[in-house]
Amino acid sequence: MSKGLKAEVNKCTGCQMCALVCSASHLGKFNPSESMMKVTDLYPEPGEVKLNYCTHCDEHPCAEECPAEAIKLNEALGIYYVDRDECTGCGMCVEVCPYEGCWMDPSESYSIKCDLCGGTPQCVDVCPKGVLKR
Amino acid sequence: MMADGYTGNVLRVNLSEEKTSVEPLNREWAKEFIGGKGLGARYLFEELKPGTDPLSPENVLSIWTGPLVGTMVPLTSRYAVITKSPQTGTFLDTYAGGYFGPELKYSGFDAVIIKGKAATPSYLYVNDGKAEIRDAKNVWGKDAFKTEEILREEVGEKAARIAGIGPAGEKLSRIAGVTSDITRNAGRGGAGAVFGSKNLKAVVAKGSLGVEVPKMDEFVKMAKHMLLKDVVENPEHAGLVTDGTPIIVDMSQDAAILPTNNWHSGQFDGYKGIDSDALKDRVFVRKKACFACGIACGSWAKVKDGAFKGASTEGPEYETLGLAGSNCGIRNIEAIVKFSEECDRLGLDTISAGAAVGFAMDIYEKGLITNEDTSDLDLRFGNEEAYTKMPEMIAERKSRIGDLLAEGTLLAARKIGKDTEKLVMHAKGSEYPAYDPRGSIGMALAYATSDRGADHNRAWPVASDAYGDGDPWSTEGKAAICHEEQIMKSYKWSMIYCDFYGVSPENMAMYYTAVTGLPADENWLNSVGVRVWNLARAFNVREGFSKKDDTMPERMMSEPLPSGKTKDKTVPRESFDKMLAEYYQLWGWDEDGRPTKKALEEAGLGEIIGKLDYLK
Repeated sequence: MSKGLKAEVNKCTGCQMCALVCSASHLGKFNPSESMMKVTDLYPEPGEVKLNYCTHCDEHPCAEECPAEAIKLNEALGIYYVDRDECTGCGMCVEVCPYEGCWMDPSESYSIKCDLCGGTPQCVDVCPKGVLKR
Repeated sequence: MMADGYTGNVLRVNLSEEKTSVEPLNREWAKEFIGGKGLGARYLFEELKPGTDPLSPENVLSIWTGPLVGTMVPLTSRYAVITKSPQTGTFLDTYAGGYFGPELKYSGFDAVIIKGKAATPSYLYVNDGKAEIRDAKNVWGKDAFKTEEILREEVGEKAARIAGIGPAGEKLSRIAGVTSDITRNAGRGGAGAVFGSKNLKAVVAKGSLGVEVPKMDEFVKMAKHMLLKDVVENPEHAGLVTDGTPIIVDMSQDAAILPTNNWHSGQFDGYKGIDSDALKDRVFVRKKACFACGIACGSWAKVKDGAFKGASTEGPEYETLGLAGSNCGIRNIEAIVKFSEECDRLGLDTISAGAAVGFAMDIYEKGLITNEDTSDLDLRFGNEEAYTKMPEMIAERKSRIGDLLAEGTLLAARKIGKDTEKLVMHAKGSEYPAYDPRGSIGMALAYATSDRGADHNRAWPVASDAYGDGDPWSTEGKAAICHEEQIMKSYKWSMIYCDFYGVSPENMAMYYTAVTGLPADENWLNSVGVRVWNLARAFNVREGFSKKDDTMPERMMSEPLPSGKTKDKTVPRESFDKMLAEYYQLWGWDEDGRPTKKALEEAGLGEIIGKLDYLK
């Protein structure tokens, strides 16, 4: 059973509030390109939106394969998160993730993936269309 | 970067010299004019030589964001294109939502100011504080959709955002807009032609620099609360959430102000085929939001079968349904979806293009143009086949009528002659939006006094006149509504809020303070609005505009509407003159509609007085 966010993506209108609040609460600035939620609009056809985020799958190959052992278990939540201090930016996790749930930050120095905000994901709160659920 | 919403940087581009440079934002002006409309107007007033041909290299083309853009303040992440209009010769500020505005900001710039003309077709690529003028040979001649696709590939950024032009802008159509995110257009006033005149195909932005505010934790709490309480649960937004602007078709039909067959009627017997229900039942696919919007008024529409099967667009919005629908006698939403898609693809404003086609149909039916002019298109009202071919005729300047209408309806009529000019519904050359003043007298004044020519986004007295419980034909209080709303919209557009956010002045001030850290209240915002509107007016007076240009078409007075609540109604000249005189008084302008020294000083514009010859 995945412990990550659930999304009813067909309800998503692409406003990126989730990406804004994610970058604000993790980085202290508004910067969707460093967000742990990636919102892609599929223009021009058929006007749908794709959401990428870590589903916190049971297999967690990202953690298994990380050569630096920088993807660590948050025992309270039972999920794996990226320890940016230890991440070497090798990109192995990005390569092995079957769900395109993690990616490199714009400077390519570490990988980015959802950490559920320590248990109360901000994006779930903020979504105006009720797309995201914990 | 200071944590005050601004990036603090302005990008300067000289296309003639193939040079770009970065300079600090004028912080003094930023405090007085905020961003968007206001700050763009201040720079333009300073930098544009009076009397400049809008399509010459000397025109100044600027793209503005503002301090709120790219933050979580809902419904503000837009951009403004500010320049001198090639359609009206006035100040021009034209806006689009979508995603380009915040991307430009994230790339490190509050604004881009472009001068000169590139020797060969070019585009500008802006990425994280850097800018590059690039060869546009792979996209010149391509439509706006294809251009976005190719340029994303060319810069190697799948998530790059693009504001650019289609063939209409390249061929200098004075009704060409700037297209971004496929369906979002800074449509009015011919900004696309200014791009074209500079050999500039597009501005491509990709940014990851972010935007900072003074107290992020508090800010996020506030923004989450406001998004829920002031946007999602705001009853003012309910109609936009469920229907969007197409809901106005039925309201205008009932009020008998829906432009029909080139404004010969205020009611359309085919309105049921183009209203919000038709859209929802026949072509609706899904709702679509702009960046940081909790409403998502936009509708993705797609035609399921018939002659226009496969055509899709975001919208069509009310103005498109009016001007390009009932005003062309078009009875089926599917045809309007096709027309709208064509306009977006080719880079045409749907209001002006719809008005132009309605006008062409009118003079075709009257025998004032013939098949020779239309390359055999049977341009009768309601002929969907001919109608859906018109955007391409205009954008590519095909046939005599296409070439003429590309100049905008007024200039086309002047070239055609035969007294056709009296059939054009416009103020200062900008075609009327879809509210007939013969059933909302306040709109006659709103159109006549709008800074960029006839417009519905500067004052909207139709809300009480025709859709509320006001008296649509009484002049009383109409000048005051226009005055008050022009002030409010001036500061609202300086922060680049979306028109559809029913945000109170108090809340606008609160957001401004939360982003910039600077104090603000409603009084201060009003003072900004007064300053900005006077500045735009002074710009226009400097360009030769005055009372003689604040007019309405003669038809408003001489041609009564035929049916419904507006049956036999006109706008009497004396009513119009009375409203206009009252309006000038409210602004403290002289009898010729020119801002006085006193008015400018009180507006905090003392420093521009020396640049206005009429005050010497």
